[in-house]
Amino acid sequence: MNYIFHIIIIINIYIILTVSTNLLVGMANLISLAQAAFYGFGAYLGVLALMILKLPMIPTIFFVMFFTALLSLIIAFPSLRLKGDYFILATLGFQLIVFTILYNWVSVTRGPYGIPGIPAPKLIGIIPISGIIPFLILSSILAGFVIFIFYKLVHSPFGRVLKGLRDDEIAVKSLGRNVTKYKILTFAISSAFIGIAGFIYASYVTYIDPTSFNLDEAIFILAAVLIGGTGNIKGPVVGAVFVVILPELLRFVGFPDSIAANLRQIVYGLALIILMRYRPQGIAGEYKLQ
Amino acid sequence: MNEDILQINSIKKSFVRNIVNIIGKEENERFFIIDDLDLQIPRGKITALIGGNGAGKTTLFNIISGFLSPDSGDIMYQAENKQMSVIGLLPYKITRLGIGRMFQDDHIFHDMSVLDNMLLADADDFGEFPFISIIYNKKNKIIERERIEKANSIFKELFGEDNPFWKKRDDPAKSLSYGQQRLLGLARLFMGNYDLVLLDEPTAGVNPQIINQILIIIRSMVEEKGVAVFLIEHNMKVVLDLADFCSFMSHGKITAFGTPDDVIGDDEVRRIYLGV
Repeated sequence: MNYIFHIIIIINIYIILTVSTNLLVGMANLISLAQAAFYGFGAYLGVLALMILKLPMIPTIFFVMFFTALLSLIIAFPSLRLKGDYFILATLGFQLIVFTILYNWVSVTRGPYGIPGIPAPKLIGIIPISGIIPFLILSSILAGFVIFIFYKLVHSPFGRVLKGLRDDEIAVKSLGRNVTKYKILTFAISSAFIGIAGFIYASYVTYIDPTSFNLDEAIFILAAVLIGGTGNIKGPVVGAVFVVILPELLRFVGFPDSIAANLRQIVYGLALIILMRYRPQGIAGEYKLQ
Repeated sequence: MNEDILQINSIKKSFVRNIVNIIGKEENERFFIIDDLDLQIPRGKITALIGGNGAGKTTLFNIISGFLSPDSGDIMYQAENKQMSVIGLLPYKITRLGIGRMFQDDHIFHDMSVLDNMLLADADDFGEFPFISIIYNKKNKIIERERIEKANSIFKELFGEDNPFWKKRDDPAKSLSYGQQRLLGLARLFMGNYDLVLLDEPTAGVNPQIINQILIIIRSMVEEKGVAVFLIEHNMKVVLDLADFCSFMSHGKITAFGTPDDVIGDDEVRRIYLGV
C-alpha cells in the first residue's frame, strides 16, 4: 500500500509542476525550459527555511513562493522582450546557469554531495509532517489547492487576457493591455507555485542534490505538459499522471531496470511525436501548441 | 478645444533596404517611406487616406498607434481635457488615451469565443489582475455581467435583435465567415472609449452586402458616438460615399487634401493612383 501512496505523492508533486507550467506554456504561449531551475530553487529555499531559519510549514511555503517568484523576475525582465525560439533559448540558458550554481557553490549547496537529513516540516511549529500518510494528505491538499487556484485563474478575466496573448499579442496591445505586465505576472505566478513542488519534494525525500533539477528534469516537465495537453487544467493533470504511472507500468511488464529506464525515454519520445502529429493539443488539452 | 483631434507634424520614417547598385554590388540604402509628412485629422469627421501600395499608409498608422517610432517629427493628440504627444508611448497607452485601431489583417482572437473577443476589448480592465480576479469574486461577477450586457447591446444595436454574433457567442471566432470576422473587429471597437479610430482597409476582401453593413457601422460610430475616423481605403466608391475629407499620400507625403470629390478628381491623383 505504501508503494501506491508513494506514487500518488509523486503524482501530486508533478500535478503542481505541470499545472503551474501550463499557465506559462498553454495559456500565455511562453515555452520555458527553466521550470526545473525554479523547482530546484524552491527545494533549496525550503531546506533553508526548514534547517536554518527553522520556520514552520505555512511560513515556509510563503517564503519559498515569494523568493522563487522574485528569482523568476530576474529572468522575466530581460527574456520577455524575446520571442519564440529566442525566449526558449534564454530560459535554457537560465536553467543551465542555475544548475551550474547549485552544482558548484559547494559551500552553500554542498554541490554534488547534496543535502541529506532534511527535517520534517512542522504544522503550526509543533506537529511534524513525516511518514507517508501525512505527506499523502499534505501533497494532496496542496495539489488540490493549486488546481483550484489555477482553475480560477484560467476562467477569470486574467485568464482571458492570457488566452488573447496566446492567440494574438498585437491585438491584445491594440486593445489597451500591457502585454509585458501580464507576461511578468504569469512568469512569477507559475514560478511561485513550482517552488511549492520543490519544497514538498525536498521535505518528502529528505535529501536533495542538483541532479534532480537539471535540464533533463526541465524537459521532462515540459514533456508532461505537452503529452497531457495545454490550455485547460485537465490536460496537465492527465500529463502528470501519465508520466509518473508509465515507468511503474513498465516495471510490472518485467523488463530489467536498465532496459525499463531506456524504454521509458523511448515511450515518452514516441508519445510526443505521435501526439504532435495526430493530436497537437495533447491527450486532454484544448490548445494546439504553435 | 482645437477642431483637429490629431496633428501630425513633419513625421519622417526610414528603413534600410538592400539594393544592387549599377556595378552589381549589394549595398544598403536608406529609404524614406514617410518623408516630412504633415496632416490634421478633424474631430468627429471621417478622413480617408488613399495612396498606392507601399506609399506608407499602414506605416503611418503604425506610428500613430505606437507600433513604430518615427525618425523625427511629432504627433499631437487632443481629446477632451488632454493634449499630448503620442510619440514614445507604448501601444497600450495610446489605446488607453482613446485611439482605437482595426488592422488590415483582421487580428481578432480566432481561438477565443465571439463573446470573449468582445469582453477582452472592454475599456474597463477590472478583474484582469490575477489576485483581484480570484479575491473579488462578487464584484468580478457583477462587472463581468455588465460587460456581457454591453456586448449584447452592441451586437443588437449594430446587427439587429436576431444577429448571428449573439447566437454564436460561445463559438470560436474562427467559425465566423471572413466578412463576419471583419464586422466583429469593428464591433469590438465599440467596447472601448475611443475618440479616434484608425481603420486599415475595413472593406478589403468582403462582399458588397458586408461593405454596406461596414459603412453603416462607421457612420454610426461618427454620428452617434462622435468618434473621429481615419481610414485607409482603396475602394473609391466607399471613400466618396463615406468620407468627409480625403488625403492622398505619395512618396511619403500628403500631396492632396480636401473633399473626396476634389482629391479623387485631382489630375495628379488620377494619373499616379487611379491610372486614368
